[in-house]
Formats: sequence, C-alpha cells, structure tokens
Amino acid sequence: MKIQEKTVSPHNFEECMKCTICTAYCPVLQANPLYPGPKQAGPDGERLRLKDPYFFTNSLKYCMNCKRCEVSCPSGVHVADLIQAARIKYDKSAPKLRDRILASTDFMGTLARPFAPIVNGVTSLGITKTVLDATLKIDHNRTFPKYSAHGFEGWLRRHSKEQAAFPEQVAYYHGCYVNYNFPQLGKDLVKVLNALGVGVQLLDGEKCCGIAMITNGMSESARKNANHNIAVLEKAVDSGLNIIATSSTCTLTIREEYPELLGADNSKVKDSLLLATRYIFEKLEKGAQLKFRSDFHIKVAYHTPCHMEKLGWGVFSEKLLRMIPGVEFTLLDSNCCGIAGTYGFKKENYLVSQAVGAPLFEQIKTVNPDVVACDCETCKWQIEMSAGYKVMHPVSILAQALDI
Amino acid sequence: MKPNEFDIIIIGGGITGAGTQRDCAMRGLRTLLIEKSDISTGATGRNHGLLHSGARYAVNDAESAEECIRENMILRRIAAHCVDETDGLFITLPEDDLAYQATFVESCRKAGIRADIIDPEEAKRLEPSVNPDLIGAVRVPDGSVDPFRLCAANMLDAKIHGGQVRLYTEVTGFIREGDTIKGVHTRNVQTGEEQDFYAPVTVNAAGIWGHKIAEMAGVNVGMFPAKGALLIFAHRINNMVINRCRKPSNADILVPGDTVCIIGTTSTRIPFEECDDVAVTPDEVNLLISEGAKLSPALMSTRILRAYAGVRPLVSADNDPTGRNISRGIVCLDHEERDGLKGFITITGGKLMTYRLMAEMATDTVCRKLGIDKKCETADTPLPGSEEKSYKEVAQTIWENPSMAQKSAASRLGTRASRLHVNDKYEDSLICECEEVSVGEINAAIERMDVTTLTDLRRRTRIGMGTCQGEFCACRAAGLLAKAHGCIERERADLNNFLTERWKGNFPIGWGDTLREAEYTQWVYKHVLGI
Amino acid sequence: MKFDTVITGGGLAGLIAGISLQKEGRSTAIVSSGQNALHFFSGTFESMKESPARLQEILSEAGIRANYADGVRLMPMGTFRESALSLEDISLFEKPAFARKALIVNFMGYHDFFFSFIADGLQKEGIEARVRFLRLPEMEHLRQSPSEMRSVQIARIMDRIWEKVVQEIRLLLKDDDAVILPQVFGLQDISVPGRIREALPAKVVFVGTLPPSVPGLRTQMQLRRRYETLGGTFLMGDEVKSAHIHEGVVHSVVTQNLGNHYLEADSFILATGSFFSKGLISTPESVYEPIIGLDVNASDDRNTWYNPDFAGKQPYMDFGLVTDDDLHPFKDGEPIKNMYAIGSVLGNTRPELGTGAGAAIRSAFKAVDSILSKA
Repeated sequence: MKIQEKTVSPHNFEECMKCTICTAYCPVLQANPLYPGPKQAGPDGERLRLKDPYFFTNSLKYCMNCKRCEVSCPSGVHVADLIQAARIKYDKSAPKLRDRILASTDFMGTLARPFAPIVNGVTSLGITKTVLDATLKIDHNRTFPKYSAHGFEGWLRRHSKEQAAFPEQVAYYHGCYVNYNFPQLGKDLVKVLNALGVGVQLLDGEKCCGIAMITNGMSESARKNANHNIAVLEKAVDSGLNIIATSSTCTLTIREEYPELLGADNSKVKDSLLLATRYIFEKLEKGAQLKFRSDFHIKVAYHTPCHMEKLGWGVFSEKLLRMIPGVEFTLLDSNCCGIAGTYGFKKENYLVSQAVGAPLFEQIKTVNPDVVACDCETCKWQIEMSAGYKVMHPVSILAQALDI
Repeated sequence: MKPNEFDIIIIGGGITGAGTQRDCAMRGLRTLLIEKSDISTGATGRNHGLLHSGARYAVNDAESAEECIRENMILRRIAAHCVDETDGLFITLPEDDLAYQATFVESCRKAGIRADIIDPEEAKRLEPSVNPDLIGAVRVPDGSVDPFRLCAANMLDAKIHGGQVRLYTEVTGFIREGDTIKGVHTRNVQTGEEQDFYAPVTVNAAGIWGHKIAEMAGVNVGMFPAKGALLIFAHRINNMVINRCRKPSNADILVPGDTVCIIGTTSTRIPFEECDDVAVTPDEVNLLISEGAKLSPALMSTRILRAYAGVRPLVSADNDPTGRNISRGIVCLDHEERDGLKGFITITGGKLMTYRLMAEMATDTVCRKLGIDKKCETADTPLPGSEEKSYKEVAQTIWENPSMAQKSAASRLGTRASRLHVNDKYEDSLICECEEVSVGEINAAIERMDVTTLTDLRRRTRIGMGTCQGEFCACRAAGLLAKAHGCIERERADLNNFLTERWKGNFPIGWGDTLREAEYTQWVYKHVLGI
Repeated sequence: MKFDTVITGGGLAGLIAGISLQKEGRSTAIVSSGQNALHFFSGTFESMKESPARLQEILSEAGIRANYADGVRLMPMGTFRESALSLEDISLFEKPAFARKALIVNFMGYHDFFFSFIADGLQKEGIEARVRFLRLPEMEHLRQSPSEMRSVQIARIMDRIWEKVVQEIRLLLKDDDAVILPQVFGLQDISVPGRIREALPAKVVFVGTLPPSVPGLRTQMQLRRRYETLGGTFLMGDEVKSAHIHEGVVHSVVTQNLGNHYLEADSFILATGSFFSKGLISTPESVYEPIIGLDVNASDDRNTWYNPDFAGKQPYMDFGLVTDDDLHPFKDGEPIKNMYAIGSVLGNTRPELGTGAGAAIRSAFKAVDSILSKA
C-alpha cells in the first residue's frame, strides 16, 4: 500500500470526527444520564483504553446495542461494535445468574416447552414476578413471553415430505422465538414460500444465534454457537440452498456480529442468509405472483426494529406490506422500542427502557392501527405490553392476506 | 532582602531551568526563574518524550548510557506520575546485521542496563504491533515521560520551597559591574512592563537561546541548532517503546505516550533565525512514516495527529566554531573559571531525562560559589504528585468509583488530584472530551499553575491534544480563561493563536481523516460560531 | 429496486432535490451514509439573499418557517454577520445596534454558549449587556453526566419546561429591551421559539451554541419527514459504494447494505458533500471521488492545498467535481449524461451558484429542472 492511502483501525474508530451526531441519536442518553453516551463510551474511551485497560468503566453496560449511533455516524465508525467489543475485552466479571438465565434461550426453551402451560401460567402470576424481581432483579412489570407446547421443528419435520416436493428449496433459520414461543410465524412463512413455489427445510441442528450471550458477558458461549451455526449454514450453502430468517436481530447477529465481535469467519455464508421479507420482495420484483384475498382490509403501522435500521432492509418489509391490496399503511417514526432484548427485563434498566419507548407507544396510540407490523420478536413483546396493540410479523400479515 | 533580590536567578523555563530551580530551592536558596514564553516551550516541549534506558548510546557512548540508566531509575522513583514504565524493544530486521545484537547487549550490560535477548515470537506476544518480520529482539527498561508534566512538577516543587516564577518575561540585558554579573533587566512580553532583578549568581538554562543569553552577558558559548522532526499518531499503537537494534539513525524510535504514540526523529542543522519558527517538511514527513513503518507496519495506515519539530541545542566541544566537534553529554560552564566572568554559569547539552543530573551539577556549582554546603536531595524526594506510584490507587482513594474523567485526572495530576473539588457536578463537567479534562482541572490550572493562554492550558492539562485538536474544547476553555482574566479581546486573539498553532501542526500531514477534521473545524469556527 | 432517480447523499441538497422530484410525481430514493451537515446548521441559508417561491413552498410544506431581511444576524462569538434567508429562530436586524440593553441568560454550567463573547460583541455596538444564570431542578439530572450538558439534551428538556424558563426570565428582566438566549428551544415543537417571543416583553434573540445545532436537527427531521410523506424512500445509514456505467450512462448503483440488490434508475444525483462526508477523499498525493472516480479539480501537489493562516481561505475547501453547465460530472473528460452533481461536492467550481446552503439549493433546483425537462 502506498503511504497512508487509507486508514485502518478496529471498528474504524479513528475516523471519528468528534462531530457529536451520535449523541443526538442515542436513545439511552435521552433517558439515562449514567450512561456516558456513544461518543465517550466509544471512540473517546477507546483511545484511553488503549493507553490502559483501567479506563474501561462498567457504565458501558447501559449501551443497548441498538446501533443507532452507527446508523447516524457520517464517518462510518462502528460505534456500537466498539462499545460491545470493549465490554467483551475488558469486562472480566462473571455474568450474574439472572443474565445467564435471560441469555440462555435454547436452554430455557428446551426446559420450559414440555411444561409450557404450567410455565406460562406461573410466569403470568403476580407473585412469581414479585419473587423474580426480589431475587433475580427481573423487573416485576415485565410480561414474560409465553412458551408454546409444540415446537416448530417438530411441525416442519412432520411436513418434510410435502415440502421436499416443491421445485425450489430453501433452508429456514427459525431462531429461538419461533421454535419455543411462536411456531405460528414459522408456519406463516412456510405458507407464503409454498405459495411462491418454494419448499422449506430445517437446517441440520441450528442453535441460538447468541446475541443475548454477547451482550450478557457470555462471549465464549456465543462464540461456540457462532462456530456451530456457521458450520450448519455452510452445509446448507454447500448443498445449494439459500437460508431464510424471519428475525431481524438473528439476521444482523449472524451477518455482522459474528465477524465484528466474535471474530468468527462467516464469509462463506453471509450473503446466502436472507431476511424473509427481502427474499419474498425480490422474488415478486422478478415476476413471481401471489394471489391476495379481496376481502382483506387491515390498518397496519410498521415499526422498524433498531437492528433492521442497521441492516438497512426495513425498506423491503415496508414495500412488501404496501404491495398487499387492502392494507392501509403507515410508517411509524424511527424510534427504539426500548426493550433491547434482555436489557429491558433487568430491573435496573426497566424505567429507562420504558422512557426510551414512550414516544413510539404514543405515536402508535395516535395512529391507532389494527395491528403493528414488526420483524423483531422482542419489539413485539415490548409493544404489546406497553402500547397494548397486537403486533404481527410482516410475513404473518402476508400469510393472512393470501388467497389460498 | 528586597523583593527583587534573590540568591539565584535562573534564565529558562524548560526542564533544565525548572529542575535547577527545584534543586536550589530545596537547598534553601531564594530562587527566581525567568522564562520568555511559557514552561517547556523549547526543546523540552518538542521532543520524543522518551525515558531512555540508555541502550541507544551503549555501544558508542558508554558514559551517556550510564548516565541515562541511572537517571532512568531515579525518575521512576521521584516522578512516578510523569513516567510510564513501558519497557522497550530493540528489534533486528532482516536487513540489519543480527551480529550487532551481541555487541549491543554486551555494551548495555557493561553500562548497567538490563538487556534481555528474547525470542521474536515472544516479542510479538509482548508487543503485537511490532514488525512481524523481526528476526531478533532485546528487552530494555525504556519508558516514556511527559515533559510538560515533569517540568510543571519541578517548578511546583520549587514554588512550594519558596521559589518565584516569572513567565512571559524576557531578559533584555545584564546588570554588570566590572567582571561580575549582578542581575538582569527584564521586560514582560504581554504587558511591556520592565523590571530589574538582582542575584549574586545567574544560571543560563535557556537551551538554544542560551547562545544569545551568553552573548548578552559578554561570553561566547558555541551552539549549533539542530532541528528534529517528529509525528504524533492519533492513538497508541504500541505499549512498549520500539527501537532498531543497529547504529542510531533517523526515525527509528516509536514511543507510546499517554493517549498517542510518537515516531522520530531527524537531525538537520538550521540557522539561529529559524529556531523560533521550525516547520516539518514534506520530505521529513515521508521519511518518518516510511522508516517508522519498519518498526510497526501499522504506521502506514494509522491516522496522524500532528507534525512538529524541536531544536536541539548542540554545544561545540572546546568552543570549536565549525560545529563539527559536538560535545557529548552535559555541559556545565562556570564562566568565572572559563571566561573570567563572575556570577554567571551556563548549563546546557544533555537530554531531557538527564535534567536532574544537570540541575544537580549546576546547583552544586551555584552552592560552591555562594559558599553553601547542602547536599542534593532531588534524587530521593518525590516530586509533588508522585508520592504515590500508582495513579489507580490515587483515583480509588479520592473517588470511590472513579469515572473515566476522574481516572484521567489522577493519571495527569497524581496525588495532587485530591485538590480538585471532589463530587462537585459543576466541576466534573467536561471541557475536553477527547482527553477527559474537566472544568475543575482547568480552573485549578488557571488558579495555581501560571496559565495565561490556551496553549499554556494545553501544556498543563492536555486540552486540544486529542484527535479533534481543540475543535470544541478551545472555545469552551476560552470562556473559562476569559472569566479568569476578564479581557475578552485578549481571549479572542488567544483563541485565534491557539487554532493557528494547531493548524500549523496539522497541515504538513493534511490528508485523510486529518483533512476531514480540519474541514470540520473550519466549518464550526467560521460558519457556526462566526469567529 | 427501480426508481426514476436515485440520490446519493441525504443532506440539504439531496433532500431538496428529492422533495422537488417527488412533488412532480417522480419516484426517488435517497441513500445517506449517516446524518448530515444540517446538524451543524447555523440556521442561516448562506448566500440565499432572497426567498424564491419554489423554495418557500418546499419549506412551508415541511413546516419550516424561514424569512429574509436585509441586515445582520448575531453570531455565537458575539460577531455580526450579513444576513441571508434564515429560519424563524434567527433574528435578523437592520443594524448591529439593535437594542439599548440586553439581558443574556444562560444555564448554570453550560459551557457551549459563549455569553461572555456575546456580551463583549454587544458592548462594542453600544448595547449594554449583562449576564444572568438559571439553575433549574429539571436540569440537574443532566448534570450527572459530565458530557451531556449539551444543546440537544437540554433542548429535549426545554420542549417540556420552556414556560418555566420564561417565568424565570421575567423575574430577571429590568428595563432590558432584548433577551439573548441559547438556541436550545424548539427541537420537537417548532412553535416554542415563537411562543417564547410572544411571552416576553423584549426582543428575544436566540444565539447558536456548539454543535449539534438544535434548529439544524429539527430542520433535517422536517425535510426528511416531508420527503417520506411524499412517498420518497430514504435509506439511512447506507453507503453507495460503486456504480454500473455503460457508455457514459449510469444504470445502477451498489450500496453497502443492499449488496447485490442494485438500485436502478433513469437518472442519478450525486450530493455526497465534501471531505467531511467523504464525497471527496484525500490521500498524501491526490484527491479523488470514491464512487466512480469522477474528475476532480484539485492539484496533486499537496503543498498548494493549504493556507498556513488558519483564519484565511483554505484552497482545499474549493476543490470539487468538474462539471459541465448542466452539472453533469465528468469521468476521464467525458460527461456522464444521466448524472448530476449538486451541493458541496461541487466545491467552489460553480461560483455562480453561490456558496454553502445557497449553492446546495440552487444546484439542486438546476439538476431537478434538467431531469424533469428530459421526461
């Protein structure tokens, strides 16, 4: 390379111009003055941490990893990655039991699912929430996601023969939410893809994407999952399959967080992992047809999840919903819902979570839609609990609208 | 004694002058230091910040090497908050002669410098940024030192022991009676006020300007200015000093210091007229980057913060006017013995890190002249702020759960951080976000450290030394300074000077992110603020 | 995805172009790699010494109120600058001596508002000036963070408690005929500055602070919202990396986020800005345009880029793309027939268009007119 032709630094931190734009868009800063903010926690802090790891402070844990700082940065600094990477590198404290529980979705899902009705009943009880609040510091205001008695994987396996008959095939990275909590979304995806002539297969043993482990100080476990998942995805790619995902967070995690934060090389699979709404939109753009019901009328307000904002693919979900006849569409202002995955479950973050999401909840109430559309499951829990409106994945809305 | 009478006058507020004032003051002398600008504005403020182990000189100049290692160990003890004990590597690259390593290590050991040959793989593990092609490495006790902090701490200690300081005060002539220097004529460069001071002994510690001072006194000290160019990179790439294990040459030391690292240096003779306004040339910039990249390849693609140059005062040996015979080591001239001029000595040569020894030599000479029999205690007494070795301990003691800014203050002030208003939210507010400098720290510097301009403030607190180069903090700090001295007009001019100074160091490396930052700074000051 | 026009760069120039085209029924997309220089907007549209109807329509439809009046405006460092079209927040005066006595009000511990410089500037014009500080309990929580006593965070609180601030100011007022306040009002609620003016019996002058600029942020939000309401597709946080060109015509562009999902269009607008926003990139030896490698009028001799006097004009800030009279940029001496360069990526290569915001607006309209005429 010629002298100084370009600049190379971890997460591009040295390109920071100190313009302060990121601080204007950080949702945490607006609600929690104990958080140093993306500029101080990120590029400012990095120079000091390079001098001495002693300059790392635990207040970086207030970062929600929503990536809005990165989206707004005119210099291309990966501010949020810088902060999360610093936490992974310098925070040597062992994660609390509560954080382990919240982050181990595969484990908890596997345990809870066989007893779903009991678990669901117990977690909705006030007394349970009070106990969890007092012992584990999981905020008692939080509603817990319900577990589904029947997992998605089992269902798809039962239908594997008919799926294999379709001329085109894709693999589906379903993630924890669809498998343990809400298999209906997976069924909706299958319905829509089948209508496009595409059959759906399971991957050969996927694991949780690991995002909650990354942000809860369990990066080693996350790395194990990452390496496992990359191998599973590579296997699918090698057999000529694209992989579809419905969760915006799982998609971002596998595409971006794996290499940036975990050092896991996903170059062979990254471009084959497609978000469902992007995949469906591109198919329709290239001439595929879907038949819609003529009696389908619904007022939809679309909420762009933060990670979708970072992916830049909200446009696909939006355009897809607008294509459905009978949909009265509103694009909600880009605003974080506040839950930030496991973050909002923690007692110490609860009030901040709710404060962050307040403008969004207000706007939803003003728009008063029939349903809020959103690709992220944790946004769904937050909006249903805090705004009181039903939330559906764009794919589920699409499935309902189909004339089959 | 009248208020303008002292036992000793020291001319020069660099490290040599400050160190000499400290030593004299500790030995009970009534001292006055006079400096025409601010502290450490000469070579003290424009060097590498390297705490030599002495290894660099071991092969060719054993005496210097021994001096260095002794002072190195002393400074670690007495100047803990100014020193970063990084250790250093001397690496051999494929194009160097590996056989030199053995000679090098042998010479180090002879001089009392610990030199351990380590495996190249171990070197890469210890210092990941080192050139991965290295074929040999030796570990030595190099370190880095903050010259501003060191100078300020010495001057502070002198003041604690009763010393007085006059900054922005120029010596315009000597008060001479026959063959004795009795005092100096001075002029305050900011106010124009003229004043005379008297002392039986005057010490010329004015670095390269010592040549003119000596001339004014009526003696000749042959000095030859030698310019050295350096580059500061925007963040720390290395945590150990990296040197080349070969005959010393240009651009072969990469020193980590505070939040940055510095590559240097060069050596070019320049005329005296250029001493007050040295600039770094494009050729020097290219040389520093390309040679420096041999120590650490990252330099090819790391943002550069600024370019600067300092002037070494090379003293001719035996008064040789050709400049070919340069004196190695410390030069302490008793002009009574040498030139028949009483009451005047010159202390020069040496290097930043042997300042304490230079000061000791000068003070011994002064005391001899004054008939005072007091031993030097500077090697055993910690400088103010350095009483506690670890700034982490300091931060923990003062603040139970120190924030990033508070940790930063502890690393700059050492134990004296306790004098900041603790837990006062107004004082904790940040003025400089790049270097974490609070309102409290700035107010303390203005109150207690003879600050009159933004650049003075920068030297004492590090504001404007981060990647934004004063974009935001300069006008915030200007507001605080204006409040302190009450003259806005002066502060406007000060702000302009400050920005011009920063720009001077930026445009020689004005490309990439540095140019983007400069454009942004232009935009903020001209369009947004309307300066 | 296919659009009529794809615009690279979501700053003032790009947004004005996008809104104009959407109003004429064209489908457009704006790709913006991060937020833009409007965040450092002083509130005055530089070199716009008029208020053309076309611009007023766009602004007012976006809820932005801007006026032009001959005279001067008061700058954050207490200096006065020639006026130009300005947001309603900014007071324009016939002459610098716009009052007899001014009360300057700041928040305790807010260092980004340069009250002492403002007082000095006013006094030089014969205006008596005094400074008073407010200390409000609602702001105490901001103080818990050493770095967040900044314009935008204060403005968020002000949207809620401005009436209380007005009350406090009333108590401080004596016979002052002007009140000077930091520009931290009206972030979400654009009516606040006007209502403060109505509530106080003196001329209320809002003066800017260190970035981010509150009226700038608000203006950006308003323009973007207007653009999206008109049906525009705003792709925030994405970067155009390259373009597919065939025989002097651009067919599509490739972006960082969309990868192999190209953005196709009949025409393209480049509003990528100057060095700060990476519309132009500099190396030790050259200045180049990163997406296509368009011709740039910049010297290869780095020494000619700089003026050592910081206060003086800087040659590098004049660098920009070489364009023909229709604003088509050149690649290797050949114009790209369906691409237009607008805004500060032009540098000072088209002085007839003005500078800063004025150049952005005029060049945007020029490009839009050309695109519409080729329908």
